[in-house]
This record gives sequence, structure tokens and C-alpha cells, in this order.
Amino acid sequence: MRIVVLVKPVPDTTGTERLGDDLRLDRASSPPIVNPNDEYAVEQALRLVEAHGGEITLLTMAPAGATETMRKALAMGAHGGVLVSDDALAGACALSTARVLAAALATLEFDLVLCGIASSDGGGGVVASGVATLCGLPYLSYAGSVEVTDDRVRIHRLHATGYMVLEAPLPALVVVTQIAVGEPRYASLKGIMAARSRVIRSLSLADLGLDPAAVGGAAASTRVLGVRPPAVRGATRVVRGSAADAAREIVDFLDERRFI
Amino acid sequence: MIESIARVPAWPLALPFFVLGIAVFGLEMARHLRVFAAVAPSRPLHALTRRTGALVRYALLQTRLFADPRAGVMHYLIFAGFVILGVGAANAVTYGLVQGVVGAPLDGALWAAVLLLQNVAAVGALAAVAYALVRRLISRPARLAYTTSAVVILLMIGGIVLSELGALTFEAAAYGALPGALITNALAVPLEGIDAAILQGLFALCWWLHLALIVGFLVILPRTKHLHIVTSFFNVFLRKLEPRGQLPMLDVEREDATFGLRTLADLGWKDLLDGFTCTECGRCQEACPAHATGKPLDPRAFIMGIRHLADEAETGLNYIPNGPDVRRLPGMDDGLTPTAVARPLVDGAISYDAVWDCVTCGACVQACPVLIEHVDKIVGIRRNLVLEDSRFPREIAPAFTAMERSGNPWGQPASTRLDWTKGLKFPVPVARDLAAAGTLSDVEVLYWVGCAAAFDDRARRTARAFATCLDAAGVRFAVLGQEESCSGDPARRMGNEYVFQMLATQNVETLRRYGPPTIVTACPHCFNTIANEYPQLGGAFAVVHHSAYLARLIADGRLVPAAAGTDRGEGGGADGRARRRTVTVHDSCYLARYNGVVAEPRAVVGAVAGIELREMDRHGNRTFCCGAGGGRMWMEEARGTRINAERTRQALQTGAQVVAVGCPFCMTMMTDGLAAAQGADGVVALDVAELLAEALVAG
Repeated sequence: MRIVVLVKPVPDTTGTERLGDDLRLDRASSPPIVNPNDEYAVEQALRLVEAHGGEITLLTMAPAGATETMRKALAMGAHGGVLVSDDALAGACALSTARVLAAALATLEFDLVLCGIASSDGGGGVVASGVATLCGLPYLSYAGSVEVTDDRVRIHRLHATGYMVLEAPLPALVVVTQIAVGEPRYASLKGIMAARSRVIRSLSLADLGLDPAAVGGAAASTRVLGVRPPAVRGATRVVRGSAADAAREIVDFLDERRFI
Repeated sequence: MIESIARVPAWPLALPFFVLGIAVFGLEMARHLRVFAAVAPSRPLHALTRRTGALVRYALLQTRLFADPRAGVMHYLIFAGFVILGVGAANAVTYGLVQGVVGAPLDGALWAAVLLLQNVAAVGALAAVAYALVRRLISRPARLAYTTSAVVILLMIGGIVLSELGALTFEAAAYGALPGALITNALAVPLEGIDAAILQGLFALCWWLHLALIVGFLVILPRTKHLHIVTSFFNVFLRKLEPRGQLPMLDVEREDATFGLRTLADLGWKDLLDGFTCTECGRCQEACPAHATGKPLDPRAFIMGIRHLADEAETGLNYIPNGPDVRRLPGMDDGLTPTAVARPLVDGAISYDAVWDCVTCGACVQACPVLIEHVDKIVGIRRNLVLEDSRFPREIAPAFTAMERSGNPWGQPASTRLDWTKGLKFPVPVARDLAAAGTLSDVEVLYWVGCAAAFDDRARRTARAFATCLDAAGVRFAVLGQEESCSGDPARRMGNEYVFQMLATQNVETLRRYGPPTIVTACPHCFNTIANEYPQLGGAFAVVHHSAYLARLIADGRLVPAAAGTDRGEGGGADGRARRRTVTVHDSCYLARYNGVVAEPRAVVGAVAGIELREMDRHGNRTFCCGAGGGRMWMEEARGTRINAERTRQALQTGAQVVAVGCPFCMTMMTDGLAAAQGADGVVALDVAELLAEALVAG
């Protein structure tokens, strides 16, 4: 089974990322990590390959330095990677990203594409559906479990009151949630060492036959107009004391504000 | 011919009989050595003077045994009996050579002295054996294992001593008093009048019984725990000489290496020797906080587990192996197969859960009379589980990731590292700013804050108190601020050597850049790692614990705590007299046991007016862990009862109102322990710096 996992480097979620004057991420301000949601997809891919055999390829669109971040995902056990990188892509919108990833997928052989629900920096959550649409793949989202049989994939699609069982023929694209895998595995040192010698193939827009004017920052369908920090939240009040006293205090607090 | 020997019927058979015993012993030992040959060679012999010193201290004087005085005396009497009766045995199997040499000068006075000594030693050993049997069979202390083999060994020792006494007694009765053998001569007096032939027969019987028991002892020795009489000398001599708080380095760049300890074959000679030296005395088990709280970890069972694996590996091997030429023939290779030493340690010598139960407090290592080293091996096993298999309690994955990404196990951004200084009435200078201003050389001491004090609310209060003390003393200090990261201690002790070396290398680089004259820290874990482990990465820094630094400031008169009569703190008497408080000091393992810092926290506490110190039974280097060491701070404690609850119980037993600590992890554990304990109302955990700062404020 050949699985492609879409992986995005994002600024460290505990860091203090800054935006540059161009309102784009100042990548020097925060070391990149693998988008945590994508790690669930990698974990799901590893489990499927452990059960059925096969290979996992990571697909990333990012600046050239992203190979370091990709190696962190390779260290979990993925077999190789493809990095689409081109200066013209700086400032690309979600739609452009989907087009580029779809074009890159077209050069790969695969049975299944897995991705996370959204990136922790952009947070749009639309690239996956865009890729599926552009590639003409069945799109199975919010998977709380993923099961593969011969030539079909079956998922539990989570929603507010329970789940639906969806099934599609392979190849297909599945958006994996944390519910499906719990915690992603921690890369062992043996895995980190093995990842060093795995091949990450670099592709430019020219390699994919895409016109920089059509998918790059210049053609972005969305633009950042301005940014401001979130409003400072009120101070936290910690309630201490015996259970009964604490409960009374909390009830009074809520009552004063007419929550109850 | 020596008369005493000539009296023994068939005496010429003594030497061949003894040689037979030695031969069996030698073959058994050679078979053990074949397992040693199959594991990792280790511990080359350097520092011979220090090693010889250790031999005298631990093997000859047996200082560790006297931690339990009665058992110590008992053991020493048996040990002395063995050595001294050994002279007699040597004499017997050399047909009186020893007596011939020793008895020649001074008209035989020296040999008479030997006989007297033997008499006394035999009686002493006999009493000790009787006491040991009472312990094994009647009083049964919890730490002892009750095996048949232990009783058999004791009975054999008793038999050897008794037969020696019997032989000398009957010899004196039959042939006349022996010069010097006062006790047996006296025992012989009532026997006078019995037929000489009977006395001579009994003498011969005892004499041969004595030798037979010695030979029998030699034959069974290699298969019993009593082998320590041979191996403990080597084990003590080959002991770890590096600071006990320094874990061995691991080359994390070697692609083909096994990281850490996976199988028997990955152990070093000393590790294997530990197994062959263990006497199952149970001192480690008695000292172990994990065992005391009902967890699967039993340090003795682990060490014996190593021995069992080794025993299994050599099972079925020929006593006399085929020669190398024969071995090359088909079917004639009788060497130790690689699979025999490939049995995994996890579930072979120690259970997976037990590996993670260890708090690395080192109480077992401290307690062991024959210098067995448990902790390094447990961390070695963790290294293998983490670095090769990613197999560890799932709750520590976030701590690993946080240390790797954010440089601290809490996963907090470095930008908040100085939040603890907010609201202080004095500035806390940052080394980078001072360096930029060119005033870094004025700094007396670099305060290594540590992640706990930077991110944990309770520990932040300790940092504020300590900084207040520094400010009050007019100490010119600086902190690293955002440039500081986790020392790496938790990562290393949880087996993640890769993350440890990453963090430590970066810290060594940062510290070198500023070249502080002295580093002070309120965290014993940072203290131990910087002092004992950073030298492995090329960083030699002078580092002191804050209790020692404060004690020095007090001794130098730079800090003057309020004298009795001026304390106006809460609870102070209306007449203005100092508030009287009872305080017990809970020693941190990495401070007291690993680094011998015991007097300093007490000096600080003692300098505060109105404090009465009440010690717990387990204090100083015998301290009982709070439960947070070895990375247990970041693990759930689901097995057994909670270690901090047990330590809190011990603290409350003293009746103290304050539990003084010198470690942020101990602070968390003792605070939680007191909050959960019955009858702990009003009892608080305070850092020694907080106790001192209060007295300064009040003054």
C-alpha cells in the first residue's frame, strides 16, 4: 500500500512567532515543527503500513529549509519525501497550495492520501478538500477511525452527535483526526538516524509544469490586510479551599454574573 | 614432621583431597568467566590507589555493613573467623608447613598466638552463626530472603567452626594441652579420663570433618550467594570512581551501536559481577522508596535477575571446553552461543514497570555493602527502551517533546522565563545585557534559575525569596533569562540521552560564553548535572547549591537574619519574642546523597531565630526520596501507594510545623503530600531560602 501524507512545517506552537513587515511569518523568529495535526496523519499512515505493508511518502510545499522539519516526520518511520519549493510560492493562498499539491500528487503513485484537519498557523482547513477536488479523489473528512480492505477505505466520520460510516474506493483522500490515533509516536534515536539517509526529492514549479504567475504569491486569492494581537483576557481567579467552600465560591461567582 | 599432622590418620590424603575441591571450584568459576568473556568489556583499571583504598574500606573494614550495627558485628565475626581459621586449613593441607614456619622462631610462641587467636575467632564466629540462624529462622527481619541455601550455608559455617573446635579439644585431651589454645585446652579438661583411643578417634573424625566441610564449601560456593567471599573484593575494586551522580556517556552518533542496555550481552563486566556478588542481604530493597510503597521495583530482585540470566546462559556448558582446533570440527563447537547471552533484560531480569518505577534516588547504591550499582543499569535499560523502541510511559512523551522544542519540560515559551522577577523591588540583571554593557565581569555569581523556578508558580516564590536574599546581601548576580534551558537532567534520567546531550551541549556553550566565576542554583538536579555531568561535554564550571551559598553569606556576615526578639512574623509573641517553630529538613537525594550537601541547608535553617530542628530517621545521605526524581516528576504514579505520601508521613511523625526543602521537585511533592495528608493542618513546606528571606524581611 502506497500512502502519501501531506505535511506542513509550522512555527512552534509554544513559541512567539512574529510577522514581518510584509505581514508574512518571520520564519527566523520561531523554529519550525511538523504541524501537530499532520502528525496524527503520519501516525495513521504508519499503522496502516504496519498492518498491510507498503510505503509512506511525505508531500510538503514549503521553503527549501523545510527538509529539516520533514526529517522529523521521517524519523517517525515514513520512507521518503517530496518537497515542492519555489521562491515564487511565497505568499501563496490556500487555493494555490491545493493546486500545487495536486500537481505534485499527479507525479506520484499512491493508493491513499492522508492529511491533518488544519494547519496550526493558517488554520484554514481547506487545502485537503481542494486537493481532493482537483485530483478527483473521494474526500473522507474528520476520520475518527480508518480501516483499509483490499481496494476500499472505510472511516468513521465524526460529527457533533456521533459518527457516520463512510466508504470509498481507493485511491482516496482521508482527513485524519486525533481521535483515530490518540498520540503520535515519539521518534526513537534509531528512527532519527534512519531518517538522515532517506531521500527527500525537491521539485520546483517548473518541474511540475506550473506557471508561477498562476499559483504563486502574485496570484493569491486571499491577502492579509492587517493583524493585531488578541485582546488580553481577564485575570484568572484560582479558587482554593475545601470542596464545599470552593463549590460555594464558584456558585456565587457564576450567580453574580447571572450565568446561573 | 609436625606432630599435630602426624597424629592424623591418612594425613597425606589432605592435600590431594583439597586440590580436588579447588579444581571443582576452579572449573565452576571458569565457566562463569565464559559469560564474562561474552559481554562488553568495561571499567579498565585506572586509579589503583583509590581502588586499593576502597578495598580496605569496604572489603576489609566493611564500613557499609555497620550501618546495621548488629548485622555488621555478626558479619565481621564470621569474616574474621573465616580468615583466621583459614590459617589452620592452610596448615592442614600443606602438611604443617605454616606451623613449621610460624612456629620456628621464639620457641613456638607465634604459633601459640595463632592457636589462641583461632580459639577466640572460632568462638566469636560460632556466636555470630547462632545469631544469624536466630535472625533467619525466628526474628526474620523484613529485608532478608528466606532461602534454604542461606540456612545450609550457615549450618556449614557452623560445622566448619565446630569441627575445628572439636579437633583442637580432642587433640588436647588425647595428646596433652596445646600451647596457646586456651579455650580448647580448658574444654579438654573434663574429658580427661576417657579412653585415649576414643579421644584420638574423635580428634581424627573432627579433623577430617573440618577439611571435608571446607572442600564441600568450595564445591558449592560458585553456585551460591556466598560466592561474594570471592567476588566482593573484585566488585569493590572495580567500583565506579566517577561521581555517583554522573551517568555514563553514550555516543548517540554511532549508527551501528546498541543504545543502552538491551540484553545480557550489553552489560559490562562490572554489571555482571554485581550479579555474582549480591548476597541477597536486602539492604537495597529496604532502602528503596519504590519498594517501600508497594511498587514492582525491587533492586535486589533486579541484580539477582542479572545473575539468573548469566546462570541460564552458562547452563549446559562443558566444564572443560573443547580446544579451538576441535571446536572447528562439525558439531564440536561447545562455546557460549550468541543466543545464550541475547536474552533481553526487560522481563528477563526486571519487569518493564519496575524499570519506570525507579526514582534514581540512589538509596540502593548507598546501602549496598559490596558496592553494587543499580541505578546506572536501570537508566541504561531506559536508554534502550527510549532510543531504540520509543517504549516508555506515554505521559512522558509531552515532556520529551517540550524539552526538545521549548527547552523545558513544561513546554512554556522561553519568553516567559523572567516572569518570576515581576514585582521584585530590585532589578534582576540578565547576563546578555551586562555583557553588552561591558559590566559582566563585575558579577560575582550567575544564578541558574532552572525551569521549575521559571515556570512553576510555587517554585517562582522560592526564586523570589532567594533573589531577595542575594539582593539583601548586596551580591552582584545575573541570570541567563531566555538563554537558559533545561539542564537535561530529567531527559537523561528518563533515558533520553539524545535530548539530554542536545540541551547540555547548548547550555555548556552558553555558560562558556559568559564564563561565570561561580554558578548558584536552587535546583539540586541542575546542580548535579552541571557539576558532575557537564564535564563530560567539556564544560567544567564551579557550581554551588543555593543553601551552600546562603550559608556562606551568613558565615561571612553579609546576611544577618533577624535575631530572636525582633521577629514580628505571623505567630510571633505579643511581647515581640521570636516565633518559635519546629522544622524538619527533607534532604533532596541529588543534594545530600549524591553530592554530600547535608550540613549547609541545616546551617541556613539554624541561622533563623526561633527554629528547633527535628530530624527524620531517614535524613542526610540516608534520605528518602520525595518521589519526583529520575523523571518521575512527569510520570503518573499508579502502582502502589504514593512515595510523597510516605515521605510526608515520616515528616509529620517528627511533629514539625515546617518541612524545609531545597529542591523545587521536593517542594511540589511535599506540598502535595501535606495537602493530602491527615493531621497536616498548618504544616507547610518551605524552601530554606524562604525561611531565611522571611527572617530578613521581619528584621
